[in-house]
Amino acid sequence: MAVARGSHSGAQFLDPAVLARISNLELLAKTVVDGFLTGLHRSPYLGFSLEFAEHRQYMPGDDIRRIDWKLFGRSDRHYIKLFEADTNANFSVLLDVSASMSYGSHEVSKLDYARYLAACLTFFSNRQRDRVGLVTFDHDIVEYVPPSMKHLDTILHLLDRASAGRAGSLREPLLKITELLGRKGIVVIVSDLYERPEEVFNSISLLRARGHDVIVFHVLDPAELSFPFEDSSSFEDLETREQIPVIPNRLRDDYKRLVAEHVETVQRRLTENRIDYVLLDTSKPLDLALFQYLLARERWTRKR
Amino acid sequence: MSLAFLVPLFLLGLAGIVVPILVHLTRRQRRNVVTFPSLMFLERIPFQEQRRRRIQHWLLLALRSLALALLALAFARPFLDRSDLSLGAASGPREIVVLLDQSYSMEIGDQFTRALDEAREIFADLGPLDRASLVVFGQGARVVARSTGDRLRLNAALDTLSISSSSTSFGPALKVAQTVLEESELPVGEVYLLSDFQRIGWAGDEGVYLPAGAKVISIKLSEDPPDNIQVTDVDLIRQAVSGRERITPTARIARNGGVDALEVDVRLELDGQEIQTRTVTLDANGAASVAFQPFTVSQPHTRGSIRIPTDELTADDVMNFVVSPGTALSLLIIGGGGGSTDASLYLRRALEISDDGRFRLTHRRTNNVRAEDLDGTDAVIINDARIDGVSAERLRNFVQAGGGLLVVLGERSGWPASAQDLLPGAAGEPQDRLQGRGGRLGHLEYGHPVFEPFSGPRSGDFTGARFFRARNFVLSDSASVLARFDDGSVAFAEQTYGLGTVLVWTSTLDSFWNDLALQPVYLPFIHRVSEYIGGRTEALPWFTIGQVLDLGDPAALASAGLVSAESAELSDDRDQVALTPSGQSIDLSSDDGPRYLALDESGFYTIRPPGTDPERPFVVAVNVELEESNLTTLDPEELVAQVTSSAPNPDAAPGFVQATALQMEDQERRQALWRWMLIAAFGLLAAETLMSNWVSRRTAAATLTTT
Repeated sequence: MAVARGSHSGAQFLDPAVLARISNLELLAKTVVDGFLTGLHRSPYLGFSLEFAEHRQYMPGDDIRRIDWKLFGRSDRHYIKLFEADTNANFSVLLDVSASMSYGSHEVSKLDYARYLAACLTFFSNRQRDRVGLVTFDHDIVEYVPPSMKHLDTILHLLDRASAGRAGSLREPLLKITELLGRKGIVVIVSDLYERPEEVFNSISLLRARGHDVIVFHVLDPAELSFPFEDSSSFEDLETREQIPVIPNRLRDDYKRLVAEHVETVQRRLTENRIDYVLLDTSKPLDLALFQYLLARERWTRKR
Repeated sequence: MSLAFLVPLFLLGLAGIVVPILVHLTRRQRRNVVTFPSLMFLERIPFQEQRRRRIQHWLLLALRSLALALLALAFARPFLDRSDLSLGAASGPREIVVLLDQSYSMEIGDQFTRALDEAREIFADLGPLDRASLVVFGQGARVVARSTGDRLRLNAALDTLSISSSSTSFGPALKVAQTVLEESELPVGEVYLLSDFQRIGWAGDEGVYLPAGAKVISIKLSEDPPDNIQVTDVDLIRQAVSGRERITPTARIARNGGVDALEVDVRLELDGQEIQTRTVTLDANGAASVAFQPFTVSQPHTRGSIRIPTDELTADDVMNFVVSPGTALSLLIIGGGGGSTDASLYLRRALEISDDGRFRLTHRRTNNVRAEDLDGTDAVIINDARIDGVSAERLRNFVQAGGGLLVVLGERSGWPASAQDLLPGAAGEPQDRLQGRGGRLGHLEYGHPVFEPFSGPRSGDFTGARFFRARNFVLSDSASVLARFDDGSVAFAEQTYGLGTVLVWTSTLDSFWNDLALQPVYLPFIHRVSEYIGGRTEALPWFTIGQVLDLGDPAALASAGLVSAESAELSDDRDQVALTPSGQSIDLSSDDGPRYLALDESGFYTIRPPGTDPERPFVVAVNVELEESNLTTLDPEELVAQVTSSAPNPDAAPGFVQATALQMEDQERRQALWRWMLIAAFGLLAAETLMSNWVSRRTAAATLTTT
């Protein structure tokens, strides 16, 4: 996967810590997307309609195949032919809002990170003239916005006030979502996947079986990955409120091993079924997720 | 025996037991709780098999709680209260008060002897530190021996006791017991009440409150009440027959109990000689009157008795009285003779009507009073006469010496201004009261001896009299009003002058200005007024037990029946001696002040100068209080409950409460349970320390092994 990180200064807006200071989610998404796109070597706007719209001056990163050579011959300038992009995909974000998503060892919780990501992707897709939708779920569907060109504001509003509270699961809500999403499209699942790998796979494979192009963003806090705790403490489960005494020093290695095994197993099982899996560290910028999205979008386009 | 605490406030420290539990629970919640998204992975690690944090070491918790409880209990200074045991076993120092009924009903059977025996037994059981008081009681209470541990003295006091003639009253005796216990410093108080428990002795409102903790032991000595016959009353009716006074005694006999009718001989005795005997038949719980033949009394201070055969209760089988020949009151009526009418007609007729000839009248239809007229005269009635200055001065001297004067204001009345101060005010002009049906008497001073007999219902109605004219009368400062007309003007006024009394009636005593003379109350009214100004008082034929006679008060002596102080050789400046019915003599010195003679024996008291033997000494008859003859008993527990169930009054019994507190402190100090509790608490805390350390080490070792 050829992913290039631009050195443009706009990349700084992909840092979650910076994003946390932007309260307006639409502005955040626009900032991220624009900043991200500015850094790309080629235009991400991939409208493949035959209906001509206008010319625009060539910008670094634009595909040189889009240069109107005839016009170049007449004017000795590089112009690109722009066409009206088709509304060619249903793009749905499935956002896990279970209590475990509220965890955050730094200023950005997993849910915040997931909300930024969902907003950015939705914004991005909407610019691509995709129909955008949103489903939030824990152990059941919490909010459902069906895919539409006009639902960006609604989605951003819902994302803005999304909060985690109840215990979560994957199978039941995803089964319902599968029923809800009739038309094939791109389905982005943003979750911390606290289920057994088999359960994760079985739940998500339903969507895949329906023909959706599924991208799974596995959002984890760095503390969940590195288990940096030192003091003996009672660890309380955010969802079940169960407590167990833990001596971190004695458990860290085992824990990290188990998490790695879990991630590896989930990734393997999903990938085997042609489901994109991206592990996201909430302390890292969003670009990895965006690139992954772009690849999926591109793949989707090719399929058509 | 019960567990008590000297400082029970420290028991609040028992609430500290919850502290270890709270600490445990709060520590569990607050100790480094780290929220984590999911324990999914942590629970898979073998270490998660470690037990959940709950109360795991119950023994440790029990040790800590017990240690805290013992500390709190130790500070509350517990002790085993053995007060109850000491009460029962008489092992502790006791303050014992023996209340012994001395009333005359105790003579029934062997009640009094048994009472003495019971008291001896109580004194025999006295411990070395015990103290006892002996109180005898009848109507009053007398402390014979107070708070002593000397058994010999107590028993000697018992030997001197005898039955009194008094009636029963528990109140004073229990008050004495209350005082003794309150003033005692001994921790245990006991009151022994030895009595036949007559109901008449306890009203229930005596206000006796024995100190808290005091114990009352009642010993009832009476059994079923016997068949008792008593002389309840004697009526002495005087009559003047052929110039001689005769007295007809009528006795009333009553019987309590019995089954069949009983014939009883009733005997009249005079000066110790049997005069007559009558037989009367008494049914069960019946009563009868016995009228004796009249007898003539020729000697003053004649002792009389109505006597029936003695039964178990002998004190009420005789009733004593003293009679003397009646003395006529010498009255002088001046005036009322102007013209052809006789203004004194009604007055004279009223005073001449009496069975016993108590008034001796002299009537002079003039306006002047001669000196010889006043000799031997007890009272003077100026009836509508104009008195000159000389006569007024004679009357002033007469009144000042103790004579009585009644001035009746009529048409012809007049009084010299020089002697105005003798009257209770100044007489004015006649005032007609012709409107309507005339005036009436609107207010009478029924508390005054003149009107006192008319105070009861149907005892004489003055309101029927109509007054058409009366003289205005302006009262002097020293006067008092005995009657007013319905318009508020004075009808009858009084003033004391010297040793005598002056009364003024502002209307007439005939039928000219009013019709009082035609009313039924006229005669008794005139008799009462005459007796009052003549200084005659009703002589009491007998006194009852408990009354006191002031031998220094002539009025009291007169009411007691003293006919002549000279003949009885009694005078104020001589010592006197009273011989009681039991033969004891009581000295009554001639020092200034009252000379009180307490009449506490039934029979005859003879009062005479010491060393003399007057022919007819002054004698006073005394009878027992007849309510004591009512032998109905009350439940002793009722009495005991009333005097012991009252709330303790710390203000009234500081000594006893203080003694109780001292006793509690003493018990606590001797037992010193707090020391053992402190030792046990520290021991438990040490054990807790060792055990918790052991548990910690064991837990750490187990953790290492598991990891």
